[in-house]
Amino acid sequence: MQLYLPIAEIPVNIFVIFAMGGAVGFLSGLFGIGGGFLLTPLLIFSGIPPAVSVATVTTQVVASSASAVVTYWRRKAIDLKLASILLAGGVFGSLIGVILFDVLQSVGQLDLVISLSYVTFLGAIGGLMLVESVRAIRRRKSGAAPSARKPGQHNWIHGLPLKVRFRQSKLYVSVIPVVALGAIIGFLGTILGIGGGFMMVPALIYLLRVPTNIVIGTSLFQILFTMAAATIFHAMGTKTVDIVLAMTLMIGGVIGAQFGARMGQNLRGDQLRLLLALLVLGVGLRFAVDLLLIPDDLYSIAIRKGAGV
Amino acid sequence: MIRFLLASLFVLTGLVAGTAQEEDHSKDLVTALSSDMVSIQSNFTGTEIVIFGQASHIADSSGEADDFQLAIVVEGPPQDITTRRKGRFLGVWVNREAERFQNVPSFYAVASTADIGQIAHRNVLDEYSIGLNHINLAVSGVSNVALSDRDDFRRAFVRLREETGLYSERETSIEFLTDTMFRTKIPLPANIPVGDYTVKSYLFNQGELVSETQQILAVAKIGFEQVTFELAQNYPLVYGVLAVILAIFTGWLAGVIFKKD
Repeated sequence: MQLYLPIAEIPVNIFVIFAMGGAVGFLSGLFGIGGGFLLTPLLIFSGIPPAVSVATVTTQVVASSASAVVTYWRRKAIDLKLASILLAGGVFGSLIGVILFDVLQSVGQLDLVISLSYVTFLGAIGGLMLVESVRAIRRRKSGAAPSARKPGQHNWIHGLPLKVRFRQSKLYVSVIPVVALGAIIGFLGTILGIGGGFMMVPALIYLLRVPTNIVIGTSLFQILFTMAAATIFHAMGTKTVDIVLAMTLMIGGVIGAQFGARMGQNLRGDQLRLLLALLVLGVGLRFAVDLLLIPDDLYSIAIRKGAGV
Repeated sequence: MIRFLLASLFVLTGLVAGTAQEEDHSKDLVTALSSDMVSIQSNFTGTEIVIFGQASHIADSSGEADDFQLAIVVEGPPQDITTRRKGRFLGVWVNREAERFQNVPSFYAVASTADIGQIAHRNVLDEYSIGLNHINLAVSGVSNVALSDRDDFRRAFVRLREETGLYSERETSIEFLTDTMFRTKIPLPANIPVGDYTVKSYLFNQGELVSETQQILAVAKIGFEQVTFELAQNYPLVYGVLAVILAIFTGWLAGVIFKKD
């Protein structure tokens, strides 16, 4: 069934979009990720204008993280103080992101920056996850006990000034890396149309040493509100949030996520991480190929002013 | 069908008026649209408009009917459009040169009775923007495109617009129902921009313009599509907040419905 999108101004097959939302929702439930980094490229490759894809996925991420935040809220697994400081950085980063988004669009380099960022970040994170998960699987097979994290372990980040105590996370760290982390994720999330959970979670664990039981809830809470801010900024700045597209993706997504979460419980953690690593690398590779191969069409057009802008 | 009848009636009235005032050349050509409004709703997947007309001059003239040629041009509201060309930079394909075309039609369709080149001299075709090769594509002063490449950009621009169905040239697509009554169809694809379109019909006699008519066709979103679009354009903050509330509510609802035991 064809449905006309009021903001994208094109008709789409609503079942295809619904299925995309469902498939990505399934994966996000399976791996415990937001799935924005899969959904945005999928929409772009299926012919939705990149600007609409990015802005609309930020709205979809709000829905998918809201659904998960409810669960973590009940379990009291959210460090509100840490999340608020991350959020302050996130909103600032998101604002800068929307401004840069507009500038890049007008000089015609938005697609390039999106592609390059995907290649860089997905390549790096996917590579790290791949190495880590393969090691974990080998360790498990050889029967060696995983090395436990030493509680007193410190790195250079813990030497920075402006320290604040985060009671729930049992942390005493400077606010500088917290705000910076929030800002970077908020910035990238706004430009790339991703929640950034797959970057936020490892950063919180390895850089700030937040306990694992607090990490996911806190990260989700921060993503929820940063992406809410990004949606509003996109609505006001680029005016490319398509509410009909977002709603279709959301409904598909939340349903898919339930099935994914159920299936995820039957898989081992290291196997899940290996699969996720391959998925992340695959998407990164797809963008790399597009950048390196000779394009089918060297020319492209973009409407700058007048009807339909 | 009712529209068709009404349009035919209009054409016939025009015919009567035309014969009554032999001297008034503007009445030699009468045209009507099957509809003067195209509404875009959630089920819009493109449509077509039918243009009817009567060229009484053909019957009145002593000359051969073959001397007469018709061209009908449908143009959408103007846009500024940037055309870019990719080039290799550090091994990666990136947009390099850009050419900005100003005030070009967002939609352009031409229908004619013969090959565009045979209708009139190219200067005349250029003047009235008849034919894809004769659209006025004005470029902005600032451009990093070499003069020798400008034609490539023009051609690429027209080709890309043709691929999206927004530009089209349909030679010999005007059919005559009688000696003087004609009809043609112009497809409007699903991605047409909203706004006021002009439908201009030109009647040529041996390459000379003898009569022309102009009509307005409105393309507009209506109902939910219109409300959503206008909200997003005029009250973006409200629209953004609404989108967020909707998203949080959907997510929360799903969390409640699928609550784990």
